Amino acid sequence: MASSAGTEKALSLLRRLPRISLSNLKPNPGAHKNKTRGRGIHGGKTHGAGSKGSGQRQNFMRLGYETGNNPFYLRFPCQSYYKGHHLKLSYIPLCMGKLQMLVDTNRLRTDIPVDLTQLVATGLFSVHPEEKEGGIMLEDDGMDHFQTRMNIEVQWASEAVIAAVERNGGTITTAYYDPVALGAVCKPMALFKRGVAIPKRMLPPQHLIDYYSDPKNRGYLADPDLVAEERFILAQKYGYELPDISSSPDKDMLLERKDPRQIYYGLEPGWVVNMKDKVIIKPTDPVLKEFYAS
Amino acid sequence: MAGRLHSFTAVIRNFTRNVSTSKVSGSEIRHVSQASAPLILDEKFDNARNVVAAREAWVETLDANTSEVGMIALHPDVFAVCPRMDIIHENVVWQRKYKMVSKAHTKTKPEVRGGGRKPWPQKGTGRARHSSIRSPLWVGGGVTHGPRAFTTQFYMLPIVTRIHGLTSTLSVKFAQDDLKIVESLQMASDEPGYIEKLCENRQWGPSVLFVDDTDLMPRNITIATDTIQHMNLMPVYGLNVYSMLKHSTLVLTVDAVRRLEERILYHLNRPDLHKENATPFNKQN
Repeated sequence: MASSAGTEKALSLLRRLPRISLSNLKPNPGAHKNKTRGRGIHGGKTHGAGSKGSGQRQNFMRLGYETGNNPFYLRFPCQSYYKGHHLKLSYIPLCMGKLQMLVDTNRLRTDIPVDLTQLVATGLFSVHPEEKEGGIMLEDDGMDHFQTRMNIEVQWASEAVIAAVERNGGTITTAYYDPVALGAVCKPMALFKRGVAIPKRMLPPQHLIDYYSDPKNRGYLADPDLVAEERFILAQKYGYELPDISSSPDKDMLLERKDPRQIYYGLEPGWVVNMKDKVIIKPTDPVLKEFYAS
Repeated sequence: MAGRLHSFTAVIRNFTRNVSTSKVSGSEIRHVSQASAPLILDEKFDNARNVVAAREAWVETLDANTSEVGMIALHPDVFAVCPRMDIIHENVVWQRKYKMVSKAHTKTKPEVRGGGRKPWPQKGTGRARHSSIRSPLWVGGGVTHGPRAFTTQFYMLPIVTRIHGLTSTLSVKFAQDDLKIVESLQMASDEPGYIEKLCENRQWGPSVLFVDDTDLMPRNITIATDTIQHMNLMPVYGLNVYSMLKHSTLVLTVDAVRRLEERILYHLNRPDLHKENATPFNKQN
């Protein structure tokens, strides 16, 4: 905390000094350095341009050129193991033990469906779509101690993890978010601030569509009846009694699912969320409505 | 530590309140017609972290026959900060430069008319060898590294520097008695002479800047100041360091003061500018 003596003294000094105007201002000493060309002794002769060559003659070589030898960016041939590297997504691991801890320490709410937005809001995960991250994957480390009934949506989950979640009476879904939708779902406020309509979520690419259409993976594009069947099969495989969701108190919450085109629970694509005036603006034009509904 | 300072601040506030002769009442503004006792516009500043005492200013009107109608408390973090002259200078320079588009333009060697032919043969003439009469070595030749038109000097000063520029300038104005607070910009007459005489009588400097919370100003003052070039009206959102220094006197309405304090205090205490929650001079602690 500052002492006020200096401030008071400065302000009382000003009372006796001439009026501060545009004509009696100056910068701190040394703040303004005049830009000068190098003239004389060590700034002179070549003026920072070196000797001869393209550098001094202002005719520079192309970027990456190494004056004739094989440049770095051409040394290495195409390797087959890099084929399709730009399509491969990586997922941020979240193990069951950590998930249980988040629930136990009240860092994560289980009374509402848990999706990427909720997980990123805990502050423990940062998802970078530009780094080809696809989202969060649920890992089986600590699944034996998992005891929470929750509706969770992740981007990848193994069979054991699915069993662990369903054994406790919860539901798990694997869902795909394209890079734009991923950015939107992880940082909703940034999207709302831009004042643009909530975008549609795109379908998964070819190599992922099978995964998300498979009821065994609880894919969001799979037939719900087949998913129910797979739940029963998995319970038999892992040897637990499948809890009845329809009789549980959180039935509506556990069965809440997003539409494949939907990014946020409760908000549809095409809507504009205005945080400043606290209103939601919905499209009225039939062309727009048709587009966002398709 | 914050707790102790808060109580210290509270002690100082109570002390100044007991010392002042006027009674502390509510914070309502009474109309001019009802003014019989001076009205005290006292604010409870819960966020006044600084130990600098709150400032008080007279509230006047633009009525030639009335003098002061009351007092207003001004927040020290806005009107009594240690004035940073270098920050004020930075703001003024920025305001001048960021809009500037330099239209200075020189021709380079290929652009200067002529100069395609070799003036004389390479060898034999005894003169220096040249290939063009418009080379930069020649008089009338092209300029190598000269200005090229439409050069911009756009840059944005950090928001913190701009905020501190505003607070420093307001503090300077207040300290040098160039800041006047009026109840509103309502005026009795729309004659330019009326406002000129008023400013002269009150010794409100040659140039005056009237600032209100709205951009739709009252009729009379708009007409009166329309032809006077050195008296200008401005909404609060247009307040800037350059204008404040250009005009000798700054006249704020009570609404403008409230809005200004609210906005500046918000920016001074924003959580996303966490480093800047410290005022410029309490970083040493």
